[in-house]
Amino acid sequence: MNSTIKKDVEPKDVQHGIWNKETISEIDYKAGAGKHRIRGCGATRYMPTFDDLMVLPSQLSRMSLDTYREDCDTRTVLGKRTATRPLVIETPIMIAGMSYGALSKEAKIALAKATALTGTVISNGEGGLLPEELENSYRQSVQILPSRFGFSKRNIEAADMLEFLVGIGAKPGLSGHLMGNKITKEIAEFRQLPVGIDLHSHPRHGDAFGADDLVVKMEQLRELTHGEVPIFMKIAAGRVRDDVKIAVKVGVDGIILDGAQGGTGAAPVMATRHLGIPTMPALVQAVRTLEEMGVKDEVSLIVSGGVTDGADLAKVIAIGADAVAIGTGAMVAMGCRVCLRCHTGKCGFGIGTQNPEFRKRLDIDGAAERVANYIKAMTAEAVLLAKAAGKTRLKNLEREDLRSITLEACAMTGIPLVGSNYVFGERFGFES
Amino acid sequence: MEHINAADLSTSELNKKIIQGLKAGGEVSIQNPHSMHNIATGLSRPGTVTIQGSTGFYTGGFLEGSTVIIEGNAGWYVGDNMMDGELLIRKNTGCNAGTYLSGGTVVIYGSTGSRVGYGMKGGTIIVCGSVGAWAGQMTLGGKLIVLGKLGADIGESMYRGAIFVRDKDAEKKLGSNVFLDHIQAGEARELEELFKRYGIDAKSEAFQVIRPLPSGRHSYALFNPELKPELAQKMRS
Ligand SMILES: Cc1cc2nc3c(=O)[nH]c(=O)nc-3n(C[C@H](O)[C@H](O)[C@H](O)COP(=O)(O)O)c2cc1C
Repeated sequence: MNSTIKKDVEPKDVQHGIWNKETISEIDYKAGAGKHRIRGCGATRYMPTFDDLMVLPSQLSRMSLDTYREDCDTRTVLGKRTATRPLVIETPIMIAGMSYGALSKEAKIALAKATALTGTVISNGEGGLLPEELENSYRQSVQILPSRFGFSKRNIEAADMLEFLVGIGAKPGLSGHLMGNKITKEIAEFRQLPVGIDLHSHPRHGDAFGADDLVVKMEQLRELTHGEVPIFMKIAAGRVRDDVKIAVKVGVDGIILDGAQGGTGAAPVMATRHLGIPTMPALVQAVRTLEEMGVKDEVSLIVSGGVTDGADLAKVIAIGADAVAIGTGAMVAMGCRVCLRCHTGKCGFGIGTQNPEFRKRLDIDGAAERVANYIKAMTAEAVLLAKAAGKTRLKNLEREDLRSITLEACAMTGIPLVGSNYVFGERFGFES
Repeated sequence: MEHINAADLSTSELNKKIIQGLKAGGEVSIQNPHSMHNIATGLSRPGTVTIQGSTGFYTGGFLEGSTVIIEGNAGWYVGDNMMDGELLIRKNTGCNAGTYLSGGTVVIYGSTGSRVGYGMKGGTIIVCGSVGAWAGQMTLGGKLIVLGKLGADIGESMYRGAIFVRDKDAEKKLGSNVFLDHIQAGEARELEELFKRYGIDAKSEAFQVIRPLPSGRHSYALFNPELKPELAQKMRS
């Protein structure tokens, strides 16, 4: 027997697999509370991202543009299918609808001001249109949600773009959710609600039960807006193919597709983690469907859910979207550190709160400038990639400019694997 | 009085003619509406539009200030998102009448389907006949007055507002998060005035009022899953 081996060694099981600290604390919570958990922010679990795609640079086969001296156009026109007054924005980055209620008034104003500094559009989100947001925004998108809190014909008249909301990626199939501690007197008045209630709005539109009714509803909205304003439908990524087909047949000018990574002010953790499909495969499926239907050039496609930088933007556009919407990223630019506690209303940065003391901490103009800088930098990043790929317009990026670096991304997107021309799965639109 | 024959007109052509007609004389009569959808959408001119027949979906949606009279039946979503004015329906309507009403008055002289006044935030809806299930669901304000029989789950999850009913079985038909209360003197007077104004034969004393629970803390099925271990035991044996 070898005497150098000690007896009675306790092996160390460092890895606990599924029984990690997070699982245990989740169970502890449920064992105490007897109910599911609500939390701010979108899904934090792993999901495939656009980082699994690479952009092919121009070399001998194509000429690159001069990064520093030549132009690359980013102006974007949205909703020109039928609207006589399509939306024109300077960069294909919109600020996603985040409700006044989930966010403070100061944060909403800062975001609106950022759109004026960059020439883009902001969506109001649930719970009415804050006059200060409208005054400060460059272009205003107005959501029509099932709850219709604070909604009226006045909102429609103020809109440069309408969003008929079907769902959001963080909690598709569920309705809006605002915790009582955020329903202050001001918010309550704005939303026409009693103070301090836990608000659970409804998930279905009371004035359009199903796709057939929506056809007539669209006609009504066109009548109301004299056919001028582009009408979008915001859809959470699930059965993307079916939903896109229906939206197109209903007659929308565009679709906002929100992937499962999308952010939120409050949602059941179950929903953020397990409902819906991630942004990248959702986008591919939407583009395929629009192409099959022969309406790709008419119907605008905006994508959101986990878009963080110019690389995401460039790749999304190469795949076939017209623009992106950013939610969480814009909050981070204002100072949010993604603590996942939006739902408590105790945001010390004055962003996701209604507490008057905390709200004072947000420097509106400073925050506006930071968001504007973020949008500009993201645009510049996307442009850098586009120029290196030889494009004079950001929109000219195409699928052929991309390659997958993982088998997973390749199978999901139909974009060939790097170093080969193989696609493990359905091919997507080009032969190489 | 301007007469418009709607038989060969598209929705937007008809709606344009209605506006022109109101500009000219303040009174318009529409023949052959043929259950067309979206008649009088967002109409905001003072005056009276009388529709000689039945209409399709969304009649008088977003209406703002005009008086619209439907001499026949109205389809689903009549008066949806209405802001102000009057919408009088002489016969019956489909479901979701007066959905998201913000203001003005809707009078249904006949009966209506389910979810009348869904998510309404203001204004008044009077139904002389009966209502289907979930009347006044998610009401945020305003008055819903029902003279006839109630369907199930009336007032489910209302946050504000009041539903006036005289169905003797109201207690059995309440949705969750509401309670049945007495009518107050001021409310009774308002009802009397409305009945007089719209030629409705009813007395306010007969009415009770459904109101949201004052706590505002709503209980939902999801929060209290009702598991019944005793029952499961019985089924095994
Ligand atoms: C604080 C917060 C509030 C939100 N409120 C709304 C809302 O009122 N309506 C809506 O359609 N989406 C809402 N969303 C979702 C965003 O519009 C958008 O779909 C999402 O944030 C995009 O994902 P990203 O955060 O990864 O960019 C909210 C998101 C956040 C973070």
